[in-house]
Amino acid sequence: MKKGFALLETIIVITFVSVSLLLLYGTFTSMLLNREKNIEYDDAANIYKMYYLKEYLLLNGMNDYMNASDIKEISCADFNFTSCHTLWDKFHLEHIYLVPYRLRDYNEDDYASSFNNYLAALSNREDYDYRLVGEFFYENQYSYASIGVMRDE
Amino acid sequence: MNKKGFTILELLISIALISVVLLLLLRVMMALEAINHDKSYASDDEIARTEIIGNIEQDFLDYHLNGLQIKRQDEKTILTLFMDQEKTIIIDNKSLTYDNEKYSLKSTNATYGSCLTYQYQELENDYYLVSIVIPVYIDGENTTVKDDLELTYLGLKNELSNYPRHFTC
Repeated sequence: MKKGFALLETIIVITFVSVSLLLLYGTFTSMLLNREKNIEYDDAANIYKMYYLKEYLLLNGMNDYMNASDIKEISCADFNFTSCHTLWDKFHLEHIYLVPYRLRDYNEDDYASSFNNYLAALSNREDYDYRLVGEFFYENQYSYASIGVMRDE
Repeated sequence: MNKKGFTILELLISIALISVVLLLLLRVMMALEAINHDKSYASDDEIARTEIIGNIEQDFLDYHLNGLQIKRQDEKTILTLFMDQEKTIIIDNKSLTYDNEKYSLKSTNATYGSCLTYQYQELENDYYLVSIVIPVYIDGENTTVKDDLELTYLGLKNELSNYPRHFTC
C-alpha cells in the first residue's frame, strides 16, 4: 500500500509549481520594465521638441552629418547659429545623437547603458535614413525621445 | 522499493525552492503595488496628458500657430490660439477643455495650476520659440514636471504673428 508521494511525483510537482511561479515572475518583471519605458521613453512633449529641433537643425546644415554609418553625437559646436544653445537649454537636452536607422552593431561601451537600452527598445517599422535621438535630463533623471529623419528632407 | 512518503531532505529542498521563487515574486509585487499607489504625480492621467499634448501640438502644425492670448476669467485661465482655425484652451481647477472637448483630471489629489508658465524667445533667421507649461499640482504642490502639460512651438515670424512677450499671473 502506498501512503505518500514517490520521489518522482514530488519532483514533478515541484517543477510544475516552480515553472508557474517563474512565469508569473517574468510577466510582472516585464510589466515593470514597460512601465519604466512609458515614463522615460518618447514622452509626447519631448517628441514634439525633437520634431522642432530636427526642422531647425535641417535648416542649419544637419544634412552634412548624415553620411556616417555609425552613431554621431552632434552638439551646438557643429552648427553656426547661436540660438542652438537656447534650444538646448530650453529643451533640457543633455546629448543629441544622429543614429542610422536599423543600426544594430555599434560599440555599446561608448555610450550610457540607458541610451543603449533606449535604442534596443525602438522599433524599426518605418522607413527613415536616420533617427535624431535626444537625451533629456531633468529632475535628476534621463529620458529619451527620437524622431525619424530622411536625408535631404 | 518500499517508499512511503517524503524524506525530510526532500521536503526541505522543495520548501527552499518554492520560497526563493515566492520571495522574488513578492519583491516584484511590492514594486507594482508602489507604482499603483504612486500619488506623487497624476499617474491616472498619463494617457489623457499624451492625448491633449498630441492634439494641441498637431493643430499647431496643421493650422500654423500665429499668435496667442492668455487671460484669467472667472477662476479660469483661457488661452486663445490664433491659427488658421481659432481654438481655445480653457483651464480650471479640475479640467481642461480644448476645442470643445473636456478632459477632467482622474487623479483624485491632482488639480491644474492656475498660473501657467509662458515663454516667448526670438531666434535667428526670424524664427521664434514659444513654450507653455500648464502645471499639475498634487495636493497643492507642483511635485514633478512629468505630469505637467508642456507645449512647444517653433515658428517663422510673419506679419500676422501676435504673441505676448511675457505673461505673469
